[in-house]
Amino acid sequence: MCSILRVEGLTKRFPAFGKGSHETLAVDAIHLEVQAGEVFGLLGPNGAGKTTMVRMLCALISPTAGRAWINGFELGPDNDSIRASVGVLTESPGLYRKLDAVTNLSFFAKLYGVRDIAGQVDKYLRMLGLWDARYQLAGSFSKGMRQKLAIARALLHEPPLVFLDEPTASLDPEAARVVRDFIEELRGRGRTIVLCTHNLDEADRLCDRIGVIKQKFLCIDSPARLRRQLYGSAVRVRLEKLAPEYANLLRGLPFVKQVEASDGALIVRLEDPATNNPTLVRVLVTAGAGVRYLEELSVPLESVYFDVMGQQDQDVRQEAKA
Amino acid sequence: MKMRPHRVWAVIQKEWAETARNRGIVWMMALIPAVIVLMVLGTDYGFVWAGQSGQDLKSVNMPVPPNLSHLPRHEALIIAMNEQFFFYLLLIPITLPVYIAAHSIIGEKETRTLEPLLASPVSTGELLLAKGFAAAAPAVVINWMAFSIVLGGVALIAPPAVLGYAVRDVWIIGMLLFSPLLALFSVMLGVLVSSRVNDPRTAQQISSVFVMPLILISLMVLMGKAFLTVPLVLAGAAVALAADILVLFLAIRVFQRETILTRWK
Ligand SMILES: Nc1ncnc2c1ncn2[C@@H]1O[C@H](COP(=O)(O)OP(=O)(O)O)[C@@H](O)[C@H]1O
Ligand SMILES: [Mg+2]
Repeated sequence: MCSILRVEGLTKRFPAFGKGSHETLAVDAIHLEVQAGEVFGLLGPNGAGKTTMVRMLCALISPTAGRAWINGFELGPDNDSIRASVGVLTESPGLYRKLDAVTNLSFFAKLYGVRDIAGQVDKYLRMLGLWDARYQLAGSFSKGMRQKLAIARALLHEPPLVFLDEPTASLDPEAARVVRDFIEELRGRGRTIVLCTHNLDEADRLCDRIGVIKQKFLCIDSPARLRRQLYGSAVRVRLEKLAPEYANLLRGLPFVKQVEASDGALIVRLEDPATNNPTLVRVLVTAGAGVRYLEELSVPLESVYFDVMGQQDQDVRQEAKA
Repeated sequence: MKMRPHRVWAVIQKEWAETARNRGIVWMMALIPAVIVLMVLGTDYGFVWAGQSGQDLKSVNMPVPPNLSHLPRHEALIIAMNEQFFFYLLLIPITLPVYIAAHSIIGEKETRTLEPLLASPVSTGELLLAKGFAAAAPAVVINWMAFSIVLGGVALIAPPAVLGYAVRDVWIIGMLLFSPLLALFSVMLGVLVSSRVNDPRTAQQISSVFVMPLILISLMVLMGKAFLTVPLVLAGAAVALAADILVLFLAIRVFQRETILTRWK
């Protein structure tokens, strides 16, 4: 395994600008390692520092402190090589509205030194479903088409690492879905992607790992493990007849964390359904319960997210008091 | 500082493609030269007509170069007149490209195209040189066209001596060498200022302050206090070239990717 992106203590402070404003700590000593082929999600609310992080890693702005290696190049001394070897979808698509799609793409293909310019431009126009609109001015495009064109632009030079800054943030649900499907396709092709988003479902669906960020990382892990870490797992057990003693029986088991009856079924929180379920069923059956069925309940990532964010707010309040 | 020709050329092509879509700017660039062409040919025709109808032109008070005193009065006057207009033509490319240049960086900042551009491997030098060249070239070409049209018109309406005098090394060198270098200078100034200032109008005003001395010198020439000679034009071209290089380097030093991107609007 090789890490395509390594970040050590990356920090960005924006100086105060004008009267009455003060210095902003946008990104606070972030550590991160992303492996080749991974889709890493930077999940956080507005102002969390996602864009600032991406701008630093694309050598657009320089960090106040910390170091980073991107595709094996060190941020700072190798900025030129970094710019040439990453692709970036910036927060706003930033297309030349008075130029058509082909011209927009060929221009960037030339800047990136792409060999087969026409071939690459064709490939991505087709891949993103913009082929029929290729001679239309970018200014006449819908938001979704613009976003797709900007994504094509980020991929033209086949960068091993791609940064996508809120790719679906300003799109209607339909366009957002098309873009998400495309990102999923990219993921399938083994492209390494850093995806900024404040959309939980998007992060859940697309990312191998998620870093919940608010200036610094509040937690990093795969979506499934983030859930388990905070909530354990839950299963719903539906029985022929619900009796209180069954719940008590289950509470006595070592791996069970919590049992509650709801809607004629038992909701059981336990450590790991895969290994715990057989025991659970055996105990119930031995006690004479008729088990109709057993299903795993997934905690929405939302609860994890708001829990983590909530904790953060409490921390801040406590710090303020101290 | 890296300068890779294919990238510079790519940016130039992009700029031209955008300019071509902006008819307004093209027309504005063509307007002043067109007016001058009409004025030259109109006055030339007027003098030719006056000469032919035997009017007294002694009262026309205009500096005539001493080496023209042997010519008939109206021919000498046409030549003197043309000389002044040609001088205007030389200087025109310093006025309008500034406008385009002032928009070049700020414009991309406003349309948010600057960030993807700066994220690409284009170097600051490549970007600024290309922007400067792309802004200067159309004005220079329009100028050449204007000069050619005037020569064609003069060949048609004026006595042969006038054309012979117009097609002279001073003007050829001036048009082909001095004028483009001067245009590039004013444009690079515009680019330099525009990478530091937030709105195009301020950029334009600031760069026009730098162009003032040039205008003063030209006034002197126009008032007959000085005459253009080949050495003078060559010296002018050399100075302009030096100034171009200086301003380009200065612009590269001053251009800070980060400040331009992150400064609040
Ligand atoms: N150019 C800038 N100058 C000053 N502060 C900035 C600048 N850009 C961003 N910030 C601040 O840095 C923080 C992080 O912003 P940003 O990276 O844009 O967050 P996100 O992309 O997660 O919404 C915010 O508090 C924002 O106000
Ligand atoms: Mg952002």
